[in-house]
Amino acid sequence: MAAGRRVDRATLAISVAIVLLALLVFAQLGSIPTDGGYSAVGPRFAPLVVGVGLLAIGLLLLRQALSGGWREMPPPPDEPLHAPSFLWIAWGLALQMTIIGVVGFTIASTLLFMAVARGFGSRRLLFDAIGGFVLTAAVFLFFTRVLGLALPASPIGIV
Amino acid sequence: MGGLEGLLTGLEIAATATNLMWAFIGCLLGTAVGVLPGVGPAVTIALLLPLTTKLEPTSALIMFCGVYYGAMYGGSTTSILLNTPGESASIATSLEGNAMAKRGRAGPALATAAIGSFVAGTIATILVTLVAPPVAEWGLSFGPTEKFSLMVLAFMTISAVLGQSALRGFASLFLGLYLGLIGTDLISGQVRFALGIEELYDGIDVVVVAVGLFAIGETLYVASHDRRLVETVERIKGSLWMSARDFRRSIGPWLRGTAIGFPFGTMPAGGSEIPTFLSYATEKKLAKGPEKFGEGAIEGVAGPEAANNAAVTAALIPLLTLGLPTSATSAIILTGFQQYGIQPGPLLFTTQAELVWALIASLYIGNVMLLVLNLPMAGVWARLLSIPRPMLYAGIVVFATISAYGMRNSWFDLFLLAFFGLIGYAMKRWDIPVAPCLVGMILGPRADTELRRALQISQSDFSVFVTRPISAALLAIALALIVVPAIARWRRVRRARSARPT
Repeated sequence: MAAGRRVDRATLAISVAIVLLALLVFAQLGSIPTDGGYSAVGPRFAPLVVGVGLLAIGLLLLRQALSGGWREMPPPPDEPLHAPSFLWIAWGLALQMTIIGVVGFTIASTLLFMAVARGFGSRRLLFDAIGGFVLTAAVFLFFTRVLGLALPASPIGIV
Repeated sequence: MGGLEGLLTGLEIAATATNLMWAFIGCLLGTAVGVLPGVGPAVTIALLLPLTTKLEPTSALIMFCGVYYGAMYGGSTTSILLNTPGESASIATSLEGNAMAKRGRAGPALATAAIGSFVAGTIATILVTLVAPPVAEWGLSFGPTEKFSLMVLAFMTISAVLGQSALRGFASLFLGLYLGLIGTDLISGQVRFALGIEELYDGIDVVVVAVGLFAIGETLYVASHDRRLVETVERIKGSLWMSARDFRRSIGPWLRGTAIGFPFGTMPAGGSEIPTFLSYATEKKLAKGPEKFGEGAIEGVAGPEAANNAAVTAALIPLLTLGLPTSATSAIILTGFQQYGIQPGPLLFTTQAELVWALIASLYIGNVMLLVLNLPMAGVWARLLSIPRPMLYAGIVVFATISAYGMRNSWFDLFLLAFFGLIGYAMKRWDIPVAPCLVGMILGPRADTELRRALQISQSDFSVFVTRPISAALLAIALALIVVPAIARWRRVRRARSARPT
């Protein structure tokens, strides 16, 4: 990549995020109690190594991002990000975690199923709803009855 | 227990009806997820980890291993029949395999892949039987110092050798190391990096991270970048069987592929990507008429598939004898052992001899099962490829959320899952490998523990790492892995600069 081209904002942001994570590590180091100082290396040592490592990596990536972009990158994907697809799935996940405690696993997961299918371009709302419900109900029964895992049922009961 | 004696004991345990059933379920699931795009063995085993509360350790681990190498069999079906190869390990197969299928030779391609996988898997299992006990014996002499250095070597190879950029590999590794540190420290009982969030005191579960990074990340990526991608599934026409000529052309590549794949599997260089491409290149060079390559040469399917399976099986040697995972999937299997409080390592062959030999014995059985499952039933598996993508990925996401939520019914785990899904998307989009992160997260806390033990013994003298010979050798190799490529790159850049007229 020739220098002087527009800086790629995404890789710049990731580099900065790694530097910030390193700073977060350093900020928390002080709050990790040492165990009385018997050994040279206590519970603070590994976090220190990780912090230093993250800082060095973040700064190197930042330098690459500012000077012509990250090195040895594969070609970008054939299609640019299709935001609606991405958002449908993200929205589905957010919805499920919000309502799962209230409406139970099956209903929350059916809605998630529909949202993901919509993100993949499906327009068959009823088909997805039925398919999603059958799948999540079957999975719910298998996990709770056969495996004995606890999952919240819907207010209607059974599944 | 020696190799043969151990194997016989193991066969007795592995051949009980229950264990045969779990091996079969594992092989079945493994083949299915190998065939299906969007979900691989690492995610599947992570999703199955909750079963460890219900199953005997032997049964669960036999099943996990079935998934692990079953996915390699199933992956070949996809790479031959589908024009878009799923996993990196099957790209080499797809080059010739898909070309063969396009010319109506899907049957022989599938057959040479399945039989090649069987031949390689079985030879590799025999080698595991012979090699693992002496390696474990050697590993018994390792103290905390050597163990720590060995883990450092594993970190270096998985970050620096694989992938395009060592720097991005290290970024992933250190993210994993950070995640592994969150929670209560095993030695001192101190809570680290919990940010005051109570849910984090016990640490972040590997399942949430693995499933988030792989399954959710992959789903987000495919949904938003591969929309116009048209997948065409080739029909299986004509006979599934290979002609005598196909057979003669395949035997060499099978054996060479095994010979190439096995050593790569034992090295902590992770994955079977490199050996499959090496095998492909070898066969291309050896082929009498190289012009046939690219138009569907059976050698180009037979070799990489054998290399693939040999590498995957060989990876069990470092995992079982030294407790060293060399890929994301084997790191998850390691977590499976830990769920039972079992630590894979040299002691495994003495303290858990029955378990480990039953596991090795089940590999022989599993390979036979997979040959039977894959060869005559290729058409059935191919039908999995016609599941509409919206349904497939919606199902994957729902399964992913169960595993996260089922652990303690907390919405916070679903939040973490989605959060790691976003990170997984970013890592895939901007070419940061995921495997180093998982290996760092799983091995990191152990490396921390071994380091502190080593320094307690040496009374805080850091020089033990370089004065003890095995440790010094391991660290020297680790250092060379970063320094040598860096120097080579620097010289290349300098030469390019001086060659340029000014």
